[in-house]
Amino acid sequence: MGNDSQAGGAESVASNPVLVEPDLEFIRNLQRSGGRDLKKCFQCGTCSAACDLSPDVGTFPRKEMARAAWGLKERLLADPNVWLCHACDECTRRCPRDARPGDVLAAIRLQCITEYAPLRFLGGMVARPWHLPLLLGIPAALLALIMAVKDPLAGFFGLAREADAKIVFSFTNHLPHWLLNSFFFLVTVFVVTVSWVAVRRFWGALRAAADPGVYALERGEAWRSLPATARRILFHRDFARCAQEVPRTYAHALVFYGFVALTLTTLWVITIHINPLAGGDLRYPMGLWEPMKVLANLGGAAVAIGCIWMAIERLRPGRKASVGSYGDWYLIGLILAVVVTGFITEVQHFQRLEPHRLLAYFVHLVTVTALLLYLPYSKLMHVVFRSTVMLFEEHYRREGEEVSKNA
Amino acid sequence: MSEKTGVFICTGYGIAEALDIEALCKVVEEECEVPYCKTVESCEGSGLQEICREIEAQGLERVVIAGVSPRAYDDHLLPSNVLIEKVALREHVVWCQPPEDEDTQMLAEDYLRMYLAKVEKTSLAEPYQPEEELSKVVLVVGGGVTGMTAAKEAAEAGYPVKLVEKTGRLGGWLGRQHKSFPTSAPFRELEDPGIDELRSAVESNPLIDVFTSASTSSITGAPGLFDVALSSTAEGNGNGQELAHFRVGSIVQATGWQPTDPLASLPYGELPDVILSVELEEMFRESGKITRPSDGAEAKSIAFIQCGGDAHVEERPYCSSICCMTSLKQALYLTEGAEDAKAYIFYEFMRTPGQYEDFYRRAQEESAVFLTRGKVEEVQQGPDGKLHLKAADTMPGGELEVAVDLVVVAAGMRPNAADGEAIRAYEDAKLATTNAESDNLREEAAKKAEELSAHAGTQILNLEYRQGPDLPTLEQEFPDSHFICFPYESRRTGIYPAGAVRQPMDGSASRNDATGAALKAIQCMEMAGRGEAVHPRARDLTYPDFFFQRCTQCKRCTEECPFGVLNEDEKGTPLPNPTRCRRCGICMGACPERIVSFADYSVDIISSMIKAVDVPDEFEEKPRVLAFMCENDAFPALDAVGKHRLPLSPFVRVIPVRCLGSVNSVWITDALAAGFDGILSFGCKHGDDYQCHFIKGSELADYRANNIKKTLEQMQLESERAAVHQVQITDYAEIPKIVDEFMEMIERVGMNPFKGM
Repeated sequence: MGNDSQAGGAESVASNPVLVEPDLEFIRNLQRSGGRDLKKCFQCGTCSAACDLSPDVGTFPRKEMARAAWGLKERLLADPNVWLCHACDECTRRCPRDARPGDVLAAIRLQCITEYAPLRFLGGMVARPWHLPLLLGIPAALLALIMAVKDPLAGFFGLAREADAKIVFSFTNHLPHWLLNSFFFLVTVFVVTVSWVAVRRFWGALRAAADPGVYALERGEAWRSLPATARRILFHRDFARCAQEVPRTYAHALVFYGFVALTLTTLWVITIHINPLAGGDLRYPMGLWEPMKVLANLGGAAVAIGCIWMAIERLRPGRKASVGSYGDWYLIGLILAVVVTGFITEVQHFQRLEPHRLLAYFVHLVTVTALLLYLPYSKLMHVVFRSTVMLFEEHYRREGEEVSKNA
Repeated sequence: MSEKTGVFICTGYGIAEALDIEALCKVVEEECEVPYCKTVESCEGSGLQEICREIEAQGLERVVIAGVSPRAYDDHLLPSNVLIEKVALREHVVWCQPPEDEDTQMLAEDYLRMYLAKVEKTSLAEPYQPEEELSKVVLVVGGGVTGMTAAKEAAEAGYPVKLVEKTGRLGGWLGRQHKSFPTSAPFRELEDPGIDELRSAVESNPLIDVFTSASTSSITGAPGLFDVALSSTAEGNGNGQELAHFRVGSIVQATGWQPTDPLASLPYGELPDVILSVELEEMFRESGKITRPSDGAEAKSIAFIQCGGDAHVEERPYCSSICCMTSLKQALYLTEGAEDAKAYIFYEFMRTPGQYEDFYRRAQEESAVFLTRGKVEEVQQGPDGKLHLKAADTMPGGELEVAVDLVVVAAGMRPNAADGEAIRAYEDAKLATTNAESDNLREEAAKKAEELSAHAGTQILNLEYRQGPDLPTLEQEFPDSHFICFPYESRRTGIYPAGAVRQPMDGSASRNDATGAALKAIQCMEMAGRGEAVHPRARDLTYPDFFFQRCTQCKRCTEECPFGVLNEDEKGTPLPNPTRCRRCGICMGACPERIVSFADYSVDIISSMIKAVDVPDEFEEKPRVLAFMCENDAFPALDAVGKHRLPLSPFVRVIPVRCLGSVNSVWITDALAAGFDGILSFGCKHGDDYQCHFIKGSELADYRANNIKKTLEQMQLESERAAVHQVQITDYAEIPKIVDEFMEMIERVGMNPFKGM
C-alpha cells in the first residue's frame, strides 16, 4: 500500500505526498462525460476480478473507481491502467451497484486526452454536442476560404492550371490537388505538433507517478520497445486477451485495418510524383480494379462495416454494457460520415453527376478535415495515448520476481 | 390408589402391536390397584372425546392417558378440573424400542407405574390471589422516543400510564435531532423525527401522567403490586425531594443510551474542533449552521470517523447500527447546502442495516461525499488552522491525509443501564469490609469493593430486590434476557427494557420495540391478575409454596433464583413474591430442607416416581438408568428420537423436569437407593450464549453435579454414575449416543451395589 502514496505525488503539496484535495469539478466532468454512476461504487472489487487485462500486481479498475469518486484527478490522469483497459465492459456487466466502471474509465480517458493537449479549449468543444456545428463549420470555412483564394495563390506561387492538365474533371478546377495537399499538410503538422506535446506531457506524468515497485524507470531507450509494442497493437493482442466481447474485437480490427489501408492508399496517392514504386504516373480517376483502388475500397468498406457493427453492438437491447457517451458517438458518427461521403463521392464521380459530385466531395473533405483536425482532442487520440501507455508498459513494467511484494 | 383414578391405554399408533396391552392393564389394575382401566383406539380427535366423556361419566379425578406424547395434546380440549398425566407410549416406547420385547414391555409398565405415582401425589393448582387488588397501571421510565411510544400505546389500549423522565422535557436524543434519516421507502429524503407530534400526543392523553425532572427513588413489590416513589431531579433546592408515590402493575424501562467514550487516540476534548455526532446534531438543530467551535467560522469540510467510540475496541465489540446512518445524514446536512463543501467519511465497516442500504446509495450519489474504508491514525492541528487527518489502508490507495475544518467522531451507543447484581455485590463487599469475621475476609472484601466501585451509585430503577436495585445485565451492560428465544424479556418479571437500553437501535426500531414492550407490560398485568405465570410457562397456575417452619435461612433459594423473586427478612427467611415467579423450580432444586413445592411438582412427587420403578435385581443383568430431562429442549428432543425411530436403550427411565436447576440432589440419592445404576441429566446449553429458559438452571445443575459426585464418593460409589449433558432440541440424534456411552460405562463399573437393599 505504501507505494500508492508515491504514486499520488502529482496533486499533493510537494512536501506532503499523501495530502489530497478532491477535485469536485473533475468529478462532475467525469460524470458529464459518461461516468455518471461513478459514485455508486462501494469497492467490492468485482470489477478487478472480472477483468481479463488487469495485471496481478496493481489490479484495476477498483482502485481507479475509488480515486474517481474521490476526485483524485492527477493520480487518475497519470494512471496507465486507465489505458490498459480495452473497454470490453465485463466490469460494467458484473458490477453489483451499477457503477459502470467501464464507462468511468472511458470518461477518465477522455479527460486525459483533453488535459494534456495544448489549446485545451478545443477539447472542451469536442466534448460538448452543442459545439458540433461550429466544429464542422471551421473546416468548411477553411476549405471555402482556400477555394476562394486559390487563383491568387496559384498566381502567387506561379502555378498554372495546366499543372493538373491531365486531370480533366471539373472539380479539380475548384479544389486542385496541390492546394488540398498543402492544406492537409498544414493540418497534419498541427495535429502532429499538438499530439507530440500532449504525449510528452503524458509521458512525463506517467513517469512521475509510476510506482518504482512496479515500473523499472531506470531503464533507458524506451524506443527499443517500439517493435514489440507495434506487434502487440497490430495483432490486437490485448483485445484477444479480453475475451469477453468477441464481436467488438472483430469490429475494432475491421476499423483499425481499414484505416491502415486508407492511410496507405492516401500516402500512395499524395506521394505519387515522388514515389518510385508508383512510377510517377497518375491516371485519374484510377480504374476500379487497380490494386490501390481495390485496397482503398476494401479499407473504406472495412471501416464502414466495423463502425456500423460497433454502433449495433452498443445499441443492442438487453445488453448491460455501455451504450456509450457523446464522445464515443462523435467518433463513430464522424468516421462513418467520412467513409459514407467518400463512397458517395466515388459513385457520383464515376457517374459524373454534376454538380452533386462536387458537393459530396466538399462534404467529404469537411468530415476528413474535422476527423484529422480534432484528432488530438477526440476519442481517436486513444490511438496515440493507448499506444504510448503500451510502450510504457512494455518497456518499464517489471515482470515476475522483480515486482516488489508490497506493490 | 384413590377410587377416582383411571387409566386410558391407547391401542392405536402401533402400540397394541408392540406391547402386551393385557399385561399393561394387569399392572394397572392388579399391581397398582387402579379401579378403572380402559383401552381406547386413539387419544386424539374422537378418541380424545371418548376419553373426556368417560372421565365425566365415571367421575374420575386423577387420570393417566398412555398414548401419544404430552406435546401432542391440545390442553384446552381436556377438562381443567381433573388431574391428567400423559405417558408417551408412542414416542418414548414403541417408536424407539423393538416390538414385542420383554424390555420394551418393562419400559412401558414402568412409565405407567411412574405416572400413576405422580398423579396420585398431585393436587389441583389454586391460582395465587393476593388480598390486595392488582394494579393495572404501567410505569414507563424514560421519556425518549421509546418511553413516549410505550406510554402512548399502553394508554391507547386503555391502560393508565405513569411516564417518568429525568430531564425537564420529553424527547430524548431524537428530540434533539434536526432531522432523522429516512425510515421508509424509498429511503432518500431526510425526515422530521416526529418527536413534537409524539410529545403532544402523550401530553394530551388523559390516561398518561407525565413526570419530568423526576426519577424513581424506590420501587418495592412485585408485578401488579409495585409501589413506586418518585423524587425530583431538578437542579437546586428541590433536588431529591419526593414528588409522588403510586402503585403500578408493570414497568417499561426505556432509559435509552449515551454515546460511548471517543477512542483515546482521538484528540476529543483536546482540540475544540473535534466533536461528537450528537454535538453536531444539536448545533445544527439550534443554529441551522455547522460551525467550528474554535472560531465560530462556518465549516466547509468535515471528516467523520466511524467506530470512533470505544465500541471499536475490545471493550465493546458490537455495532451500534445507527452511527453510519447518522454520519451519512450529517454529511448531507453539509453538502446539500453548499456547492464547495466536502464531507469525508472514514469507516472500517459501512453498516446500513436492511433497506437503509438505499440511503447509503443516496448519500453516495452526492459528489462531495467522500467515503473510504481506512484506519484513522492521527488527527492534528495543522499550521493552516485546519485539522489534518491521516488514515492508512484507504481505498483510493494507501495513506491519505485530508485537511478539514471539523472532525466528527461517530461514537457508538452504550445503554443507560445499571448492573443491579454488581451494585448489590459492591454493597455486600462494602459491608463485609467492616463486618466480616476475619482480617483476611475483610481485606478480600475491600479488594472486591474496589473492583466494583465503578458501580457504586449507578442505580436507575432503585428496585427493592434482594439481588440488586436494577436489572441484571450482560457483559456490555445491556439488561440480560433470554436473548436466543425471548430477547424482549428481562430477568425481572413485569419489567421490560425497551429501545436502545436493550440493544442499539434507531428511532424506528425503538418505536416497534416500545409497542412490543407496552403489550408485554399489559399481558403481564392481566396474567398476574389471574394468578397465571407470565413467561415462559405462560398460564401455569402453580407457584412455589414454602413450608417455612423447616426453613433454616440458608439463603440458597434467595441467592440462586435467577429472577430475584425472593426477598429476605432480617433473619434471612425468604419472602416470596409469587407474581415475580417464573415457576422454574430452581428454588426447589436448591433447597436442602426440601420445603419448596408446587401443586404438581415437588420433591416428594418426583421421589415417588423414582421409587415406583420396578428395578430388577443384580442377577437379571438389566441395569436401570434414570434420566432427568429439561422439558424445554431435551424432553421434546426425546420425542424427536422416537419420531426418527432412533433406537434408544430400553434401560432408561425418563423424568421430565421444569428446569434442570429444579433437580434436587435428594432425587439422586433416592434413585441410587432404589437401585438405579446411574443418573443422567439433560439440560440446556449454558455459558455466555445460554439457551436455558431460566437463564442459570442448567449452569446450577452442572455446579450441583460436582457436589453430587462428592456425595457419591462418600457412598463409595463411582462418581461417573451421575452425569450432566447439554443438548439442544436439534441434538436429538445425540441422545441415543450419550445414553449408549453411559450404558457402556455402567457395564464397566458394574451394577449399583445398593441394588435390592
